[in-house]
Amino acid sequence: MKKRFRRLKFLLALSLFSATIFPFAIAFGQMSKHRYITIHARQYAYDPPIIRANIGDTLHIRLVSKDVTHGFYLEGHDIDAEIEPENPVFRVRNPSQGYNWRSTSEIVINLQKSGKFRYRCSHTCGFLHPFMQGELVVSPNYPYWVGVILAFGVAFWLLWQASPKEEVKSDDDRSES
Amino acid sequence: MTTEVKVEAQKVDLFDKFKGLKWMVKLRSFQFLAILPNLVLFYIFILAGIFGSPIGNANIIIIFVWILWWFLLISVMVPFVGRLWCLMCPLPAFGDWLQRLTLIGVRPGKTVGLNNKLFGLNKRWPKALSNIWLQNIGFLTLATISILLVTRPIVSAVVLGGMALLATVMALIWRGRAFCLYLCPVSGFLGLYSMTSMMELRSKDKEICRKVCKTKSCRAGSDRGWACPWLVYMGNLDRNNFCGLCMECVKSCPHDNITLYWRPFCSDKVIKGYDEAWKAFIMLVLAMAYSVVLLGPWGFLKDWANISEKGDVVGFIIYAATLWFICLLGFPAIYYIAVKLGHWWAKAKKQNGAVSVKDMFIRYSYTLVPLGLLAWVAFSLPLIMVNGSYILSVLSDPLGRGWNLFGTAHITWTPVYPEYATYIQIALLLVGLYYGIQKGLEIARELWRDEEAAFRSMVPVTVLLVVVTIAFMKLFAG
Repeated sequence: MKKRFRRLKFLLALSLFSATIFPFAIAFGQMSKHRYITIHARQYAYDPPIIRANIGDTLHIRLVSKDVTHGFYLEGHDIDAEIEPENPVFRVRNPSQGYNWRSTSEIVINLQKSGKFRYRCSHTCGFLHPFMQGELVVSPNYPYWVGVILAFGVAFWLLWQASPKEEVKSDDDRSES
Repeated sequence: MTTEVKVEAQKVDLFDKFKGLKWMVKLRSFQFLAILPNLVLFYIFILAGIFGSPIGNANIIIIFVWILWWFLLISVMVPFVGRLWCLMCPLPAFGDWLQRLTLIGVRPGKTVGLNNKLFGLNKRWPKALSNIWLQNIGFLTLATISILLVTRPIVSAVVLGGMALLATVMALIWRGRAFCLYLCPVSGFLGLYSMTSMMELRSKDKEICRKVCKTKSCRAGSDRGWACPWLVYMGNLDRNNFCGLCMECVKSCPHDNITLYWRPFCSDKVIKGYDEAWKAFIMLVLAMAYSVVLLGPWGFLKDWANISEKGDVVGFIIYAATLWFICLLGFPAIYYIAVKLGHWWAKAKKQNGAVSVKDMFIRYSYTLVPLGLLAWVAFSLPLIMVNGSYILSVLSDPLGRGWNLFGTAHITWTPVYPEYATYIQIALLLVGLYYGIQKGLEIARELWRDEEAAFRSMVPVTVLLVVVTIAFMKLFAG
């Protein structure tokens, strides 16, 4: 019979269990909210750079440009806006429906998907335009936590496979010696 | 069965499997035909960089070099075919042709102990610089101004044009591809990451090279092929790092003893010196730095790096100093602590015949190679998914002048499912982590020759790899 590190197995199971339930426990305790955010765009960043929200929240987003015309393309949510400087009214469209722009002063989004979604500039605004982006993080961030769990899992599994194995003598072997 | 025996058993002889492939690489015109289209494109890009739109996404040099070529290089070419880019790279082309005074043919003769007639001074490169430290510093220098390099067409044109000029001048002074071997920043990381690639050019039987072959034509040249421009002797070649896949040795070998193999991922595992270890550190840290500065949401970092537009000199100094410190000192110090802890714990098990800290430090740095490569692929992926549509528009309007050569200039920016990039990035990082740990454990067993000591030595390094992986995941997905 071969004996492996029992503690290692226990630690692995405990880590995986904890890592699995923790983010869900946190998210379960949060109630859906209406969040009102004004995003300021300038060359080459958004303020706030990161928006954190929970699944089920409703975001009310106002967009303001501080310098030149910028875009606001929110990936995964079919939203693209064009913001002119110092103008609280901006154009917005749904990319899946082509270029039917409509004017508005607020975008309302109900967050149905968790994860990280970047908002990017979609209107060439200068040299660093392709790198102008912010992040919307919707909790519980399943992809990230699954990735973390799997990273631990890969490491534990490989170490487990490589861990030295002790030969445990059977009762017959012990009595002979 | 040892790891090496397993790898050997899994290799596929591509020349044997595909006879046409061997015929093709043996053609004298093979490398010329591979280089020519890239050379034409290269000079079109240089002209576009100088005379075209200053806005990056409207200029073909930025889109084709830093979006398309970079993505293909790091994500497709390196993992699968290693240094194949070096076969077709336009930068050293004029240097090669001036050294040889021919585009395709071979000139037998005698020059500095080689069996070819070579033009130029053919000096030996200084021994003290026969390492990749210059490439490390060169890449770090370019990385420091990378935000300018990848967004300003004129900067790209000047840097790339300058590299081509330097390669040409160096070819007239030093023998072989001195620029590629010792200076080219791209060559530096291609060499390191080609260790993971699934293709290799090797001699079929090294005993034939060492004991039967009298001419060593691979290294010295012959009337059938040029002396290896990478200064490689096939009888000793056991890693991809310094083979540029030019296939001259395939042509010149009098014993038909050279072939192309398909092999498992990460088959080369031996890091040979501090210069290569530091290349692994620098590349991993830069993958993180690029992900933070270019793909991150923090505007102040972009402002600091964007020195020519924002003019924040103090910010640029902080950014550059931090980058260089972490690459050259900070991360290596953290890695050293992990290695030292592993060494201490392993030595407690195996006092006699303990591996030295130095050997562990150098050899275990390979664990950062697959993780670093996959981190770079994960960084490059959003670039192509988000900005790939620019490829079509600049194809028709390469200079951003309002042309429409192929009718695609009207195609607007259209990201392709960017919201799914994080899933692919996580998967890539996990693959990198897996191979980093697995190869580390193999190296540990080779060095320690004791199962428990090897295991103990790798635990702290594994922890470090996991921390690094999660840090990347936090950036990309968290």
